[in-house]
Amino acid sequence: MPNPYIPYLTRVKSIVGENKANDIKTIELEFKKEEEYKKFDYIPGQFAEISMIGKGECPIGIASSPTEEGTIKFTIKRMGTVTSAFHGSEVGDIIGVRGPCGNGWPVEDMKGKNIVVIGGGFAFSTLRSLVLYLLDEKHRKDYGDITVIYGNRDPGEVLYTDVLDEWKKRDDIKVVLTIDREAEGWTEEVGFVAPIVKKVGPKSDNGVAVVCGPPIMIKTTIAVMEELNWGPEQILNSLEARMKCGIGKCGRCNIGNKFICTDGPVFSLAELKELPDEY
Amino acid sequence: MEQKILKKDEIGKLYKEFESEYNFYAPISQKGNIVFEKIENPEDIVLDYLNSKIPPKSVLFPQMEVLFEYTLDEKDVEITDRQDLDQKILIFGIRPCDAYSFELMANFFSFHGNWEDEIYLKKKENTTLIGIGCNNPRTTCFCTSVGGNPFNKENMDVFLTDLGETYLVEGISEKGKEIVNKLSWLSDAADKDVKKSQELATQAEESIVTKMDTDKIVSNLETSFEHPVWEEISESCIGCGSCAYLCPTCTCFDVIDETDQYNNRGRRIRIWDTCQSCLYTLETSGHNPRNTKIQRCRNRIMHKFSYYPTNYDLLGCVGCGRCISVCPANNDLRTILDKIEKIEKEEDEKIVA
Amino acid sequence: MGIETENKEIEDSIRDEAKKLLSENQVDVVIGYSQGTVPLSSTMVIIRKEEDVDKLVWNNLCYINLARYLAPLMPQLCDSEGKPLKIGIVAKGCVGRAINMLAVEKQINLENIKMIGINCNGNVNRSKIDLEIGEKEILDVSISGDDIIVKGKDWEKKFPYDQYINELCKICQVKSPSATGETCVGECQEIESIHDEFADIDDFEAKSTEEKWEDIKNSLEVCTLCYSCRQACPVCYCNLCFVDQNLPIWFGKTTNYTDIFTFHLIRATHIAGRCVACGACSSVCPVGIDLNIITRKLEKIVKERFDFTSGLNAETLPPMMDFKMEDEEEFMLEED
Repeated sequence: MPNPYIPYLTRVKSIVGENKANDIKTIELEFKKEEEYKKFDYIPGQFAEISMIGKGECPIGIASSPTEEGTIKFTIKRMGTVTSAFHGSEVGDIIGVRGPCGNGWPVEDMKGKNIVVIGGGFAFSTLRSLVLYLLDEKHRKDYGDITVIYGNRDPGEVLYTDVLDEWKKRDDIKVVLTIDREAEGWTEEVGFVAPIVKKVGPKSDNGVAVVCGPPIMIKTTIAVMEELNWGPEQILNSLEARMKCGIGKCGRCNIGNKFICTDGPVFSLAELKELPDEY
Repeated sequence: MEQKILKKDEIGKLYKEFESEYNFYAPISQKGNIVFEKIENPEDIVLDYLNSKIPPKSVLFPQMEVLFEYTLDEKDVEITDRQDLDQKILIFGIRPCDAYSFELMANFFSFHGNWEDEIYLKKKENTTLIGIGCNNPRTTCFCTSVGGNPFNKENMDVFLTDLGETYLVEGISEKGKEIVNKLSWLSDAADKDVKKSQELATQAEESIVTKMDTDKIVSNLETSFEHPVWEEISESCIGCGSCAYLCPTCTCFDVIDETDQYNNRGRRIRIWDTCQSCLYTLETSGHNPRNTKIQRCRNRIMHKFSYYPTNYDLLGCVGCGRCISVCPANNDLRTILDKIEKIEKEEDEKIVA
Repeated sequence: MGIETENKEIEDSIRDEAKKLLSENQVDVVIGYSQGTVPLSSTMVIIRKEEDVDKLVWNNLCYINLARYLAPLMPQLCDSEGKPLKIGIVAKGCVGRAINMLAVEKQINLENIKMIGINCNGNVNRSKIDLEIGEKEILDVSISGDDIIVKGKDWEKKFPYDQYINELCKICQVKSPSATGETCVGECQEIESIHDEFADIDDFEAKSTEEKWEDIKNSLEVCTLCYSCRQACPVCYCNLCFVDQNLPIWFGKTTNYTDIFTFHLIRATHIAGRCVACGACSSVCPVGIDLNIITRKLEKIVKERFDFTSGLNAETLPPMMDFKMEDEEEFMLEED
């Protein structure tokens, strides 16, 4: 087995600003070596440890779906040294990628079910990957109804507007967008994610809900879901933590006896209830 | 006769047999502290010691280790892997508890998810252990409570017993037996030597003073996560990390890129880290899941006696007692586990009443 | 009076004062030292009830500076709303100095603190004893008359007390806390200034520059960067230590000598003028490094330049945080 700490080398193909504040960008990466791209076989919900070699490494969820061939995409918010380095990179720069890491959304187990995708803010990254995967013509028939509820602070913060517009045109997926407060020119829902979920009222039979967002959103949304009779095995979360190796060796991201980087980051609510109440 | 005798003044001779083929590590005294270092001069070797200050995990999992090196070009990066993982390593004079710790670390560094820490595992594959039994376990040693023994030969290749003037030499593994055969100049052991070694082994086991009921501890800990006893346990802790650094089974590390900007090259290294550090779990957003000492102290104990056993069916502690003797605030592990055992007893009594 | 007898008196006075403070509700808890579970150690204990005061001891192994537990303040020392409890604290001189420093730097409020002052008679030099005994297990350390008795399984050694205490204890001039009035009960005094010869670093100062570098290198080389020294230091209370900052990264965290030396040098500079010479850093070091060679030299420079000794009162700012109009500026301006 090769040294698991050595990254694959990729080149930046494009960098696209995603929000008005311009602190969230999506970078598209092309692998230098074709065989390494083939080895990077991922499913939605997984993440990779990407590095600006010389500056550092950080774990970022994969925003592209495996159905989008040729390149991989990451959506990165500028927060510290390494993420600033990504934001400042140019087309053609080298970025190291290690992975894919983590368990990903259980797309096999989700077959035949009605899927509700609930996202808040910047956490929509891996949800983009999931929905694109589900909607792909190879997979769409394997799944039941798909509902997407996506909330943001204001219209300028909505990510992936191009993809969302495409989805709205389709009739095999329901898309509900909401922002926290009224804003000029906004014609869709207004309100926090939890009350909008209540309004939409997704039915729990044969359903799987994927909830991703800031802690407060998750808490309130789960409360609403439980009111709507959703059981804890039906609700999936993606946890975040400080990570270094991303492969379950450095010990940092443990929650109870599990590591968020390998046993997760996706955990069902039922699994989380078994683990210590740390995160 | 399978067992051989090594005279105490023949250690230099033994060293010469191995020094060309192996990186030879043994205990030496460094400013009064016993540590395992690469031996240049066999006169430096100290075998008459209680246990080393810094555990021999530092040989296979050093405090600072290069993961890979890189050179930075205008628009390109070149990565160079480690080239030295095939070198043979010999660790001489290691205690049974520390030899066992290598196995526990190997469990952890093996497959978990899809990944294996090749760096540690390859080095371990190329490592030979010539260990020595503990004639005089310390009062802080408790290897017998965690499935070990001061004369445990299981994880060794060759095992030495200090008979006073000489060492009894026994090949344990296939590799070890070959080595003993190669050392043809070793004299045969007499029956009385073997008998003495057995007596020393029994004496050593009986002399262990600290005993704990670790069987119950795993299940006790599962139900005591939220118990207020952790507040009392973590009171005196100063949050330094000595316990983790000097623990033979603690393997947490940090990863850093060190770049020489003037020469456009650098290396990615890993260095020891400890969950006792207040910034260990701090996320970039500012959220810190373990921002109190109580949570951090609890995490360490849970990791050794609850999480590791849940994942590997073995306790994550080898009973060397280093954390007990080195803690600056005297936050004694024995007292901690005793307190945890006591809560359960109170609860049991309540249920019975 | 023999050390043994002194210890008994000090211990009794600690217990009496603690009992009084708790029974009169002047404090909610008392922080002190209690018997260690391994030889050459003692541990910190929080006494919440009068009947527990007998857990408090004084045995010349009380090397932790208890003021370290006051900042940052742990939840166990706060009430259910997160407000600090009223805390009684067993204070030898250097603990008192540290408490004064924390008050000056606004990390604690002296209104919540009651020092139980004692006339400290020093602490045993752990690493010196360890080094002398070597690779034999120490089973018991006690004070008998004026000697330190160290016992093993089948051996016993005696060390004269005054020669085997910490170097800093030998030259200590602030044996009881410098505090008055409401803040201190028991042994306290009011010290305006002290005359410190810094005799403990005379030998080191007499060496040449090359010898000094060699000495420091030999000493620090074995450092494992466990940060016990930083954690045990009462004036090292920063939430984000410079070592851990990554915007910018000040220096490496590896075990190269350069990184080790830089850490110790920068930490010593950060505590220059604030160090209370308690010696806790050297006592807690797991590999027995004497860090006080560097810190004492910096203290001497501060004394010579600014005529300042830390922790004698809770008002005067340390020189690195203050300026006076008469400060010489020859390094900044050219003399006319």
